[in-house]
Amino acid sequence: MKWSRVIIYTALIALALLFLMPLGVVVVNSLRSSQEIAATSMIGWPRHLTLANYGQAWNQFCMAEHCWGIEPYMLNSFTLVIPATIFSTLLGALAGFSIALWRFRGDQVVFGLVTLGIFLPEQMKLIPWVVVLRDLSLMNTIAGLILIHTVQGMSFTTLFCRNYYVGIPQDLLKAARIDGAGFFRIFWRIILPLSPPILIVTVIFQFTGIWNEFLYGVTFTSGGQQPVTAALIALSAAITSEPMYGEQSAAVLIAALPTLLVYLFGGRYFLRGLTAGAVK
Amino acid sequence: MPVTTRRRLLAGSAAALALPAFARAQSEAKPRITAISQWSAGSDGAAISALGKVFEERGGIWQHNPVPGFTTEMMNKLRAQIIAGDPPAISQLKGPEIAAWSKIAPTVDISPLVKAAGYAEKVPAELAKSCQPGGHWIALPLQVYRINTLFMSTRGMQRAGITKAPTSWAEFNDTAEKMKAAGMIPLANGGIRYDDGMKFEIALAGISPDVYRRAIMQLDTDALKGREVLAAFEQLRKFSNVMNPNIAAQPWAVNLPAFVKGDMGMVLMGGWAQGNLLKAGATVADFSSGPAPQETGPPCFDLNADCFIFWQPKGADLEAGQKLFAEIVMQTATQEMYSKITGSIPARTDVNLSAEGFSDGQRNSAQNLRDAIAQDRVVLSLGHNMAQPNGMTAAMIDVLTEYVHNSAIPAAEGQKKLVEAVASAQ
Amino acid sequence: MSPALQARGANAGRRRAAGVWRRRLGAALTQLAIWVPLLVAAGNVVVFTLWTTWISFTASKLMPDYSWVGLRNYWAVTRTANFQIAYGNLVIFGLGYVLLTMALGLLLAILLDQRVRGENVLRTIFLYPLAVSFVVTGTVWSWLLNPGLGVQKLVQDLGWVDFRFDWLVQSDKAIYTLILAGVWQAAGFAMALFLAGLRSVDGDLIKAAQIDGAGPLRIYRSVLLPTIWPIFVTVFVILLQWAIKAFDLVRALTGGGPGISTMLPTLVVYDFMFQRGELGRGSAAAVLMLLSLVVVLAPYGIYVRWRKQRQARA
Repeated sequence: MKWSRVIIYTALIALALLFLMPLGVVVVNSLRSSQEIAATSMIGWPRHLTLANYGQAWNQFCMAEHCWGIEPYMLNSFTLVIPATIFSTLLGALAGFSIALWRFRGDQVVFGLVTLGIFLPEQMKLIPWVVVLRDLSLMNTIAGLILIHTVQGMSFTTLFCRNYYVGIPQDLLKAARIDGAGFFRIFWRIILPLSPPILIVTVIFQFTGIWNEFLYGVTFTSGGQQPVTAALIALSAAITSEPMYGEQSAAVLIAALPTLLVYLFGGRYFLRGLTAGAVK
Repeated sequence: MPVTTRRRLLAGSAAALALPAFARAQSEAKPRITAISQWSAGSDGAAISALGKVFEERGGIWQHNPVPGFTTEMMNKLRAQIIAGDPPAISQLKGPEIAAWSKIAPTVDISPLVKAAGYAEKVPAELAKSCQPGGHWIALPLQVYRINTLFMSTRGMQRAGITKAPTSWAEFNDTAEKMKAAGMIPLANGGIRYDDGMKFEIALAGISPDVYRRAIMQLDTDALKGREVLAAFEQLRKFSNVMNPNIAAQPWAVNLPAFVKGDMGMVLMGGWAQGNLLKAGATVADFSSGPAPQETGPPCFDLNADCFIFWQPKGADLEAGQKLFAEIVMQTATQEMYSKITGSIPARTDVNLSAEGFSDGQRNSAQNLRDAIAQDRVVLSLGHNMAQPNGMTAAMIDVLTEYVHNSAIPAAEGQKKLVEAVASAQ
Repeated sequence: MSPALQARGANAGRRRAAGVWRRRLGAALTQLAIWVPLLVAAGNVVVFTLWTTWISFTASKLMPDYSWVGLRNYWAVTRTANFQIAYGNLVIFGLGYVLLTMALGLLLAILLDQRVRGENVLRTIFLYPLAVSFVVTGTVWSWLLNPGLGVQKLVQDLGWVDFRFDWLVQSDKAIYTLILAGVWQAAGFAMALFLAGLRSVDGDLIKAAQIDGAGPLRIYRSVLLPTIWPIFVTVFVILLQWAIKAFDLVRALTGGGPGISTMLPTLVVYDFMFQRGELGRGSAAAVLMLLSLVVVLAPYGIYVRWRKQRQARA
């Protein structure tokens, strides 16, 4: 029996190393100077360790006239992602509850339509959104982006929440309604307290998805209001003219830090949320 | 209103609405300008920032939105702004796209300003034509690059025993053989589409600028099916055989260290490569540059230029800003400053580049342009969207890039596919 | 009736009236809370899809233009090599990405289910790639897979001079690099869902099977895997939409190259719409992409309905 444990541990460790390798390369490259990387190779031990890349990436690297580094863009991303995540999650929970438990005529059709939204590619929706934002006078504002991500996010969040809420027995609702509780009271008093597992999953998913999104972030904002993904793309474009792999690695790590932390701390809840799929 | 009428109205308004608007904009409004470009980084970013500073020194408010990414993202942003009814005062655009985009939103006629500065005679005719799609100026060129430039690595030449740069394709192929024998990679290339397109156009322009003009710029089917184009495909195949086989989706600049060290021998690239080389730590002694091989006659000039188009502004401050910007951009001093930073040559052909800050490569290039204009040997770049609108260019480069990366395609088939692509993209 | 009684009656009546109003208001707000978000979300999906479909039948180039041209865009787009290669690639990439991710995710989940020490750490290691954006994944893997800069060079420098790992630069193998990078990113997600499912299986079922003398392999095959079938479906759907929407990953890793050998439908749509100024053709490509999706999902939907009807009858 011991052999099987050895095999299991070996397999896990080998796979873990494979998974960690790209992160390792980026971390190591962020500590090497760009000239060194360009002169030797992408994968290699640093000859001289340097933290200069982080300083460069944080508040010195230039995007045309603006030499602010990626710091202001990080702030923009937070301003965008946090409200969008909260709104899309709450609305998704509400919608999931309506469809899964409250029920109404045509709920399956609506659910199907909303869920189909997860398959629509962003490129195709770009111009319609321009028209919508123009009519709402939200062009080039963070509010406009929040609107876009909230509406589109609902496709995911409704799917997740609805699949979770179908596990809640209808008897619970019936009892509450007999006691005279209405839609909002049931949602607030019964559904929400049961929701943390799926809400955490949804929040993690949405936070990551919106944080890492690039196309809309660049099209619907300008200049200093762009999210951090724009700065990362600017760095990638810069690399075609001069070697900046070190700064790029540092910038990538800084930009990925929030989502990495979300997975680090939320990881166990992620699992717990999916484990508690059906309320026993 | 029926749609077609609206379209016709817009097209007509490209002429009618391109008013000499500055007649009434002699206002006290502080000049302000909003600009969109893709120049967020590198020497381009530095140059546009410097231009912005000049604008501000002259009393204007400079509001530039650099769109991260490449041309597609920039045009994406421009399109979004136009649909939203809020185009910038100026935006980066070039070649036939100026004509195409001028039909979808109103532009400003700046011919009076151009005339006042006597500018029209000073820029190459092809370039001036692209800035006047409706017969009057709506755009101004910023800088010019020569595409058909050959860079040789000094150490590479020593290693392979080459003493002078090749001046014909036959010599080029010989040089490549010698370099290969010396264990080097003869041609440093990137794996990106425009790079592959560029190699083809350099080959064809080097064979015959006339055929290039007929085939690529005018899309004449006979020229496209002719033997010069076939010869260009064969030369392109020779290029692909001596390029770095490990390149895919990488910008050519990753080869720079190897080029400087002498592990790679030659680069066929536009004049900006000089700037890349210097940024990568090379010194002027590490490389030499000159026109790419030309089979017959003096070297032609394969032209690439960046321009700014002037959109109809809303507000006297933007109008004043456009006027100020136009004046600044047409001035010799501005163009010198810009070209010093990016390594290009000024759009004005009457600029003396013997001053400090310019390289021999730039001087050589500028002289080449003057000569080529006199001899009518200026052609427009395919790979950099000067010769054809983007849709046609992309269809042609699809064929070219596939040909470069798939050595199983024979030259005749490549030519056939090119003809088909041109037909289906029209 | 006495005035006091009358007053009390009136008060009760007023309270009842107020109650009625409150209930009506509550009902109205409920309807709003149900319908407004759902209509906006569903409307967004329907209207945008319809608009795109409409545009695909028009002569739109740089801007939307509403003059009808019938199927011309569809003919033009399906004839381009770009599109044909992209469609073929979508099948290869879609199948490879989804199936391999599920397989690796299932393997990881089963391994982690074995009560190993350091499960938390291991789970985090497998999950973290999800936190990284597709652009970064593509960029980093493009460094690693570059034969001249990455893994191949490293191994060759270490002594194995004949080692080759240059899929990235070969036209017929580059698509597999996309699958590799994609699986790396998403396997943790599949693992998390499968692990959750495995853990939520009723312990009694397992004990019953053990009493019957079933070994661990039998237990997995006959008890656990069938029970977590719904999770397979969820994972499949989420992975499928990631595969279909793959854009940033491809642009960053291969740029559609070498040549045009790793084009995917989303890149064709973006390229036609925004690079080539052919909105009509780009929209046609998008509609075709969605149609192919319907072809994949419709049979599944029919199957589910059929199963439900069978269960209802049984």
